[in-house]
Amino acid sequence: MDIMTGVVYPVAGLVGLYIFVSLASLIWEGIDRKLVARMQRRVGPPLLQPLYDFFKLASKETIIPNTSNFMFRAAPVLSLATAIALLAYTPMGFEPILTSKGDIIVFIYLLALLSLFKILGAISSGNPYAKIGAAREAAIMVSREPAMMLAIFAIMWRLGKLGIEKPFSMSVFYQHNIWEIGTPMSLVGALILLYVFIVWLASEIEVGFFNIPDAEEEIAEGLLVEYSGRYLALFKLTKALKAFISASLIVAIFFPWGISGYLGLTDYAATIADLLFHTLKVFLLLFAVQSIFRATTGRLKITQAVDFLWKNVFLASLLGSLLIAMEVIM
Amino acid sequence: MNGEAILPYLIIIPLFGAFSMPMVNLLGRKSREAWAVIISGATLAVGSAMFYSVWENRGIIVYTLGAKSPLGQANFPIRIVWEVDLFGALMVFMVTLVSFLAVLYSLGYMKHDTGLDKYYTLIIILELGMLGIAITGDLFNFYVFLEIMSIASYALVAFRNDTWEGIEAGIKYMFVGSIASAFILLGIALLYGQYGTLTMSYLALKLAESPSVTAKVALALFIAGLLFKSGASPVHMWLADAHPAAPSSISAMLSGLVIKIGGIYALARILFSIYGASISVKTVGWVIIIFACITLVIGNAMAVIQNDMKRLLAYSSVGQIGYILLGLGIGLAAYGSQTGEIAMAGAIYHTFNHALMKALLFLVAGAVIHQLGTRNLNELSGIAKTMPKTTFAFLIGAAAIIGMPPLNGFASKWLIYESSAIFNPILGAIAIIGTAFCTAAYVRVLYTFFGRPSESVMKAKDPEGTMLWPIILLVVAIIVMGLFPWQISEKIMIPAVKALENQLAYVSTVLGGA
Repeated sequence: MDIMTGVVYPVAGLVGLYIFVSLASLIWEGIDRKLVARMQRRVGPPLLQPLYDFFKLASKETIIPNTSNFMFRAAPVLSLATAIALLAYTPMGFEPILTSKGDIIVFIYLLALLSLFKILGAISSGNPYAKIGAAREAAIMVSREPAMMLAIFAIMWRLGKLGIEKPFSMSVFYQHNIWEIGTPMSLVGALILLYVFIVWLASEIEVGFFNIPDAEEEIAEGLLVEYSGRYLALFKLTKALKAFISASLIVAIFFPWGISGYLGLTDYAATIADLLFHTLKVFLLLFAVQSIFRATTGRLKITQAVDFLWKNVFLASLLGSLLIAMEVIM
Repeated sequence: MNGEAILPYLIIIPLFGAFSMPMVNLLGRKSREAWAVIISGATLAVGSAMFYSVWENRGIIVYTLGAKSPLGQANFPIRIVWEVDLFGALMVFMVTLVSFLAVLYSLGYMKHDTGLDKYYTLIIILELGMLGIAITGDLFNFYVFLEIMSIASYALVAFRNDTWEGIEAGIKYMFVGSIASAFILLGIALLYGQYGTLTMSYLALKLAESPSVTAKVALALFIAGLLFKSGASPVHMWLADAHPAAPSSISAMLSGLVIKIGGIYALARILFSIYGASISVKTVGWVIIIFACITLVIGNAMAVIQNDMKRLLAYSSVGQIGYILLGLGIGLAAYGSQTGEIAMAGAIYHTFNHALMKALLFLVAGAVIHQLGTRNLNELSGIAKTMPKTTFAFLIGAAAIIGMPPLNGFASKWLIYESSAIFNPILGAIAIIGTAFCTAAYVRVLYTFFGRPSESVMKAKDPEGTMLWPIILLVVAIIVMGLFPWQISEKIMIPAVKALENQLAYVSTVLGGA
């Protein structure tokens, strides 16, 4: 492997992907706000509003509280860096840039690390509201991840039985998908897991029921209460990226079909066509999970949300995984 | 470099340093400190040179005290031999490295204490005892070095004898530690009575020729004594008192080195190199695994509820010893298979990694205590504001011990998880539960450290250079080792396991008329 294929192309791909996903995810936010406004018979902001917000925040004065420590300033940068690193492991309609066997663990780890940096940044501000928000974020995080991990490991293990070269890697989904097993039990299992993933996505991007750590009305913006200016802009961007990445995971698991094959495209054109089609699917998924869910439901209390995630979603994940695994086990 | 030629200097230098310390002390404080640093630095140089030599030659170094050959006129070993394979050499390197950093750290940390000539003498003797354990190939010689190490650590735990807890922990440690040592001595006596030799390799041969009940009784006594020394549950209680009461530089050595050399290393050496061919490794492996599981869960779970920072770290050490024992147990129970090899590699790797990260964490704890005079976590809120470098080091250490990927703890824990999941999924689940507790414990500390600064914390600042440099060096070591996990595993840990499992080579190097 020479330096071009080993280093330069992946880096170039990552940079390109980063620019594209930043724009796409911010534009999605604009679409989301517009759609929710339309649902409530308002006009809503222009589609590019999140971009304007971003630039405005970036140009504003950044205030550092005097009770804060070094992590307050490091956390936004670290979490954006983690999000960018995560892009290299995210399936985007084609195999991730840095795919290797077992990279699912890297994906889950980096996704959790994003939240961890946000929590660290929040508690580093010294603000008690932020601390409450951080405690809630931690509680939600611990509750939501096991359901997702169980489901994704079950699916990957099952797909691994169909014969693939890199088990437990994100590239699995573009070789086999969950629907092609085709037996009734696996279909039911897959549908249950789809439910699990959708709730997981809602709790990951904190909308609807799960808009708890940042709850404006209760604890004054919670986690991000002390953040302003540049750092807030970084956090907003990270949040948008995270929504896109989390939705990409679900799209890759459940709806991995590309269009380049049908259009007869090859090479770069195929990649770009798949990326655009993938983005469309992500937007559709986010429309269902983010916009509708956000417009139609209020938030739960933290105890209710934790209960819901363990007693409902985790059990569903267990059931779905068992159904998926059953044919192989028996 | 010729490993055999430099091997004696591992003992000569610290022995000379310790025995000349009272005289050097007459020249004043500066020369005493310089002498301690020079001695431990020279030992580090010898230790790393020896490690490199053993690693490069892939051989076993045998050194006979007093003659060219251990055999004399007879056809069996009559002299004390030192025998160092890659596993032993790795331990030597670990001991000399952490001891050097602890001595360096002591310069700043201990400067308000009195009786420091004794302190430096003891710390060098502690290092000497541990080095002796790692290199010896003679069972009674092993016992002597074990006692040198133990007695030095009793004295060092109770070093601050104007505090009640130092004395209390020291007495507790000494009483139960002496009993554990007595077990080991009794085991050695039984073996000597039965087989008439104390050379490990020759004993291994005799044991394989004629196994006996006596040998099994002796083995039980060894395991009991050494599990105590390693702080396994249910005999971990001395550790939770001794680590907080000792000065932090000593806690770093106790937790990073003593429990591993005197416990894990000795256990591995006795089980693999002496008893390997003559017992059912599966049974013994499962005995160790059971203790490992108890240790894992109890140690980590108890760490979560501590309010005392050093006590938390002490319990976390117990928990990490659980991982190492789990690796060791699986390494025995799945002896000769790929799984067993991975588990053992994980155990050795984790031994080394844990020595680095726990030394780091205890040194950080020492810096915090030195600045603020309290170990109570509830009073340490927000030290990230006033002690940023120290907190950053703690963050790295905590992340490494939890096993976060870009740091060194990940690879070693991964090897243990992987092998235990392959060997028996229930063991894998127990290991994961242990990690969950461990994560909870450290996240809780981080939560405190990064919080709102309290009144008392505002006056603190980062420690001085001599205390900061060892911390920085350990952070760098942890990060750099974390960048090349699989290379290290492939080039050092797996060969170390192969050397340990190759009992035949261990025996024949001595008996083959070296």
